[in-house]
Amino acid sequence: MSYIRFENINKSFGSNHVLRGINLDINKGQLVTLLGPSGCGKSTLLRILAGLETPASGRVILDDEDITNMDPRFRNVGMVFQQYSLFPNMTVSENIAFGLKLQKKTSISDIKKYTAEVIEMVELKGKEKAYPAQLSGGQQQRVALARSIIMKPKVLLLDEPLSAVDAKLRKALQFQIREIQKRLGITLIFVTHDQDEAMIMSDVIHLFSEGKIEQSGHPIEMYTTPKTRFAAGFIGHYNILNPDEFSTITGEHSPDGFDLAIRPETVEISAEPQSPGMNAYQLTAVVVGFIPHGNVLRYTVKIAGILLQIDVLFRSFKLFEPGQTVYLTIEKRNCLAVQSSEA
Amino acid sequence: MKKNKLNKVIIAAICIYLVLPLLLTFVYSIFSEWKSVLPEGPTLKFYVHLFSDTGFLLPILRTFIISVVPVIICTILILLAMYVITVHLPWLDKYMQILCTIPYAIQGIILAIGVLSLYSGLPEPLSNRIVMLILTYCIVVLPYLYRGIKNSLNSINAALLLETAQVLGSSRFHAFFAIIVPNIVPGISVSVMLSVSILFGDFVIVNIIAGSYYTTAQIYLYRLLFESGQTSSAVVCILFALTLLMTNGALSLYSRLNKKLLVEKEE
Amino acid sequence: MSKKPKGFFYLLALLPFLVLVVFYEIIPLLTVVFRSFISETGSITLDNYIAIFSKRLYRQAVVNSIILSAVSTLVGIIIAFFGAKAAHGSTQKLRNFFMGILNMTSNFAGLPLAFSYIILMGNVGVLVVFGKQFGIGFLADFNLYSLNGLILTYIYFQIPLATLLLIPVMDGLRPEWKEVVNLMSGSNLDYWFRVAVPNILPSVLGTTSVLFANAIAAYATAYALLQNNYSLLPIRISEQFVGDLVQRKEFGSALAVILMVLMILASLISNGISKRRKGERA
Repeated sequence: MSYIRFENINKSFGSNHVLRGINLDINKGQLVTLLGPSGCGKSTLLRILAGLETPASGRVILDDEDITNMDPRFRNVGMVFQQYSLFPNMTVSENIAFGLKLQKKTSISDIKKYTAEVIEMVELKGKEKAYPAQLSGGQQQRVALARSIIMKPKVLLLDEPLSAVDAKLRKALQFQIREIQKRLGITLIFVTHDQDEAMIMSDVIHLFSEGKIEQSGHPIEMYTTPKTRFAAGFIGHYNILNPDEFSTITGEHSPDGFDLAIRPETVEISAEPQSPGMNAYQLTAVVVGFIPHGNVLRYTVKIAGILLQIDVLFRSFKLFEPGQTVYLTIEKRNCLAVQSSEA
Repeated sequence: MKKNKLNKVIIAAICIYLVLPLLLTFVYSIFSEWKSVLPEGPTLKFYVHLFSDTGFLLPILRTFIISVVPVIICTILILLAMYVITVHLPWLDKYMQILCTIPYAIQGIILAIGVLSLYSGLPEPLSNRIVMLILTYCIVVLPYLYRGIKNSLNSINAALLLETAQVLGSSRFHAFFAIIVPNIVPGISVSVMLSVSILFGDFVIVNIIAGSYYTTAQIYLYRLLFESGQTSSAVVCILFALTLLMTNGALSLYSRLNKKLLVEKEE
Repeated sequence: MSKKPKGFFYLLALLPFLVLVVFYEIIPLLTVVFRSFISETGSITLDNYIAIFSKRLYRQAVVNSIILSAVSTLVGIIIAFFGAKAAHGSTQKLRNFFMGILNMTSNFAGLPLAFSYIILMGNVGVLVVFGKQFGIGFLADFNLYSLNGLILTYIYFQIPLATLLLIPVMDGLRPEWKEVVNLMSGSNLDYWFRVAVPNILPSVLGTTSVLFANAIAAYATAYALLQNNYSLLPIRISEQFVGDLVQRKEFGSALAVILMVLMILASLISNGISKRRKGERA
């Protein structure tokens, strides 16, 4: 039996059916990301696991125990919120020690020891006596993390913890969270709408859309083989062509009810025609423009009135000019059939 | 710039208009006589006399007591009620708001006669004047205290703090009184002081309900109005100074309490 | 494993508050309203209200109260408007100083204020003596113990309150709006009448009703200056319950209800005006 199991979870807020029969298993020691656009239900599922919301129907099982109706304070679940929510009237140390002091099971000297350990782990040594108002966003989030970790929870829940943090700091924190998770071997569920973040951090990604799980898998799997139009549109920068567009460009037909998704980096672009053979399409296009994205050049080209994006590693200094005719080679296996939304 | 000059003139004019009566009252209190255009005979004897007169000091003490006790009672009652509303029954909040806004419509004389006519004929302790006064005063300050507490709860995002504490193992009751309340203390200190100063300056309610039973500073002043002009003006100045001390004391208390919560960020 | 606690113990925490409010706010309020419809013999009647409007003494009280409150409110708002406007356009330092004075003098009301004005403008008041010495007519002949005197004192305590309420309202006027109007070749008057005033009108009206309620329920100042010699609602009301005259609880309650109605009416009118203006533009 998996460590955490959601069985047929349904939840509505008024007329808004936020979670529709969710079934999800999570294994111990993994960093799992719930990914999806705003309002798709991922945060709600997290809150149900924490006990801050009750499902309308279904069960939640944690470590072989049915906790569906259990009060949050008995669940031994750690949670870090988007708005940090440190207690403003307490110092960093006091915030971190709060949970242990409540339990009354640990001696004061042990509490001091654990607090120091955990502060070291989140790299906040020297800030023990600071108040939350004196800390930056990134620092506050690390305190929030420390405050949860010290309780040795069964699972750590992070609800969009980095959305309010500076972009520059976000990368460092992503790395730090992942490191801590691996070091402690703790089960961690991460909620975000940022697909890059999900890709960087996760063992498993569950993609949510409108209250249902659209697709689940390892980051690379999710990235290279999206199964639906939604998934292809959300992860990566797929070009998505409906059947008409696809046949206009390639002359071939896609299976009924399926669109075609092509990753921009899988298209080869050159100034001369190539002969790729049977397993690829050779297309002629006109360059519309390009945008430099750091080490990637993103070209927009037009074929028969249809726009395609092509990503090229910025290796050579040769750029394709707008208006120039170029030749594209797309391997057939890189044209993925994905389910249309109307299915 | 013409605009700036005009602004300064307007502000100066209003300030002079407002400060003049105060100033003149003070001057009146430090001179023995003021029969013609200028006063004569500077002296502090009226103040000295007042401070050594228990007939004056006692009413001042009584006023303090009767201003502070209702505020303490009302604050505790509101906090208990807000615990229930914030944690358990949030939908009750709009009714709470209505209840705490009604006192505006029945302020002063209406509340006083309402309470008096209702309870004066009944057995003790309901007909006890002091009890009536204290509980009526609680209603008087209800809107100010409620607003202060409510605004503070909103500004600290009480709901989020409660959830955080719960996940860390705290009961909601403990979370409310060990985390939420300490965090709103700076915020409500201003409303508390405002409420105390409002009660300190009340005349209508204490005159109607308590009258001769409990002579406060205001009642003392009223009696004095028809006797010595200089002593009355000294009393006026003392009362005003006390009120000023209270409200300014509140502001400095507020900023001191808030220092640890609003210090400049280091990075 | 623990189930969510099912208890209603927490409701006990709500109880003290409810007891206070029910017994000292709701029931007194209801008592006053119900009593106003009961005659001295105990039967239900409208006689109390009829008496208020048929007897000159009480009719005068209502009229005097309305006039006093309306005039002091109007003058107060106008002065406060220009004061707030001046504060809005001033440096931070001047503004803070001004607000400090306003806060300080907003505490000065009731008996102490009345007394100050007696010193200032009473029969042997400083300014009156000054006026007599230097032949300034209106100072020398000023009678503090009249409607005019009351209006003067009421204006005094309306100004700080009104100004403090209007300063944040003025702050809501964005400087960009004036710039936009100027760019469209509009004058400052255009800006004020077409943009600024319509935008702040709801708040100004709200402040007006607060001031009106403040004035009409005021007791201490009038009592100190005129005791029972001038007919005002709050004075007449208190007479029915305390003092030398015979107690007339039912009649006093009716007077109190009239006072409440006047306050509520002022609030409704100002809300109504601001809603209608909003509707016009919608």
